[in-house]
Amino acid sequence: MSYIDAGYAIAFGVLAAYAAILWRRRQRLERSASRAPAHRDP
Amino acid sequence: MSPADPAVAPWSPRATWVVRGLGIAAAVALAATIWLGLWVTPPDQVQHNLVRLVYIHPPIAWVALYLAFGVAAASSVLWLWPRTRSRFWDRLAVSAVEVGIVFTALTLVTGSIWGRPTWGVWWAWDARLTSTALLLVLLLGYMAVRRVPADPDSRARRSAVVALVAAVDVPIVHFSVDWWHTLHQGATVLNANLSPTIHGSMAWTLLLGFVAFTLLFAWMLAIRYRVEVLSEHLQDSELDVALHERWAEGTAPVPGPDGALAGSGRPA
Amino acid sequence: MWRDTALVAGKDLRIELRSRVVMHQVVPVAVMVLVLFAFALGPDRAPMARAAPGLFWVAVLFASVLAVQRSFALEAPDGARDGLRLSGLDPAGVFLGKTAAVAVQMVVLEVVLTAGVVVLYGSHIRSYGSIVVAGLAGTAGLAAAGTLYGALAAGLRVRETLLPFLFLPVAAPVLLAGTRAWQAALGIGSGSAGDPWVRLLLVFAAVYLALGVVIFGPLQEAS
Repeated sequence: MSYIDAGYAIAFGVLAAYAAILWRRRQRLERSASRAPAHRDP
Repeated sequence: MSPADPAVAPWSPRATWVVRGLGIAAAVALAATIWLGLWVTPPDQVQHNLVRLVYIHPPIAWVALYLAFGVAAASSVLWLWPRTRSRFWDRLAVSAVEVGIVFTALTLVTGSIWGRPTWGVWWAWDARLTSTALLLVLLLGYMAVRRVPADPDSRARRSAVVALVAAVDVPIVHFSVDWWHTLHQGATVLNANLSPTIHGSMAWTLLLGFVAFTLLFAWMLAIRYRVEVLSEHLQDSELDVALHERWAEGTAPVPGPDGALAGSGRPA
Repeated sequence: MWRDTALVAGKDLRIELRSRVVMHQVVPVAVMVLVLFAFALGPDRAPMARAAPGLFWVAVLFASVLAVQRSFALEAPDGARDGLRLSGLDPAGVFLGKTAAVAVQMVVLEVVLTAGVVVLYGSHIRSYGSIVVAGLAGTAGLAAAGTLYGALAAGLRVRETLLPFLFLPVAAPVLLAGTRAWQAALGIGSGSAGDPWVRLLLVFAAVYLALGVVIFGPLQEAS
């Protein structure tokens, strides 16, 4: 029985963690990209 | 690559809506799969409770080996083909590879967890496991090449070739390991196939599992793609800032925001 | 294209004849690998002889990484790589030429290693024909795939660690098939015929030669 629990826990745990990482990376990038840069290319 | 726009365009409302819908649908489908897989469906006659892993392992494998890898390989080819070349394909390829790495690793782990109580071994050198393991190494190689500093075109070029070679190699590996077992006299070929009679609620749960993980892959791919677009832009604008600071510390006049060169003040 | 192939192959081989880097450095390393395997598996010859096919091909694999790195190091100094790119030579010809040069050097290496295996491990070769064909086919495949990846990694500072990491997984089928073919030729293991494996080696070589010819040009445009 514990094998199944371990399998489900690992699979969904890893996927949830990766999803959270992606989401946070995206949020941080959206924030820094919306700030207009100080200098522009001539 | 000079970004003329000060900011990256956000997603259109329709795109945002689609991606959000994907995410919600994926979450609902996954929750349903877990519920059905762990509680509602009965134990198998042969595999008993171990069959519950069948609801997640084959779907994860399908996403890793066919969806993610397929998208990565196809995008790479489309980028290499001059007539269809576009940064979209390069970004899609790297997104598919990264998500693919997660799913491929999980394929191996869930397969191993299933294999241990079923066959008594954590690992076996059969065709499927071996080529999946090799695929993981090849995908990691893709990311390693990706990390080498280079202009976007060269980087895309090298990455696409790696993906293409991998796409050619994985079938060859699968084929040769398969032969290895069938031609080797006296070897026991591990039958990794599902029990042929899977019906009723189990079949529906399996189908739901495939749908759920496919939706999850699509959502992750979209978010990762957006991350790629944003981080490329950030790298470009960071380069601009660094260049500007470099000019400022030199003796050359600094170009103003309107592009005109101001009168040069000579710093010490 | 064939003229360019001959040109590039001739150039690479002439440099090797004059500098003898492969002969004096790569071949001894490969032989050393055989010796080290003996330390790992010995002192009885029986395990060594049984493992000889696999050990031979592992040594060949590692040596091919070195040979490919050497092949592209030839153009590292003084912007020779750019010179080659701008020379107007057909990229497919350049690819085939470099592949041919690497393959020739590998064949020389393999002859030495075969002698080493016979002497050090006490192997008995039953069928010379299939050894030769398997060796040539496997070498062609390794040289083609190696040259393709070598071009990809050329000029990158991480090339020393990147090339093996990229190349060895791709070369795995050659190791598998070559070992099986050699096992059949040496009469080791359960007597599965070697012919299917030789065919696999030929397919592998054909696939990677074709792939290299097509993709080498676009790849070279990467700075």
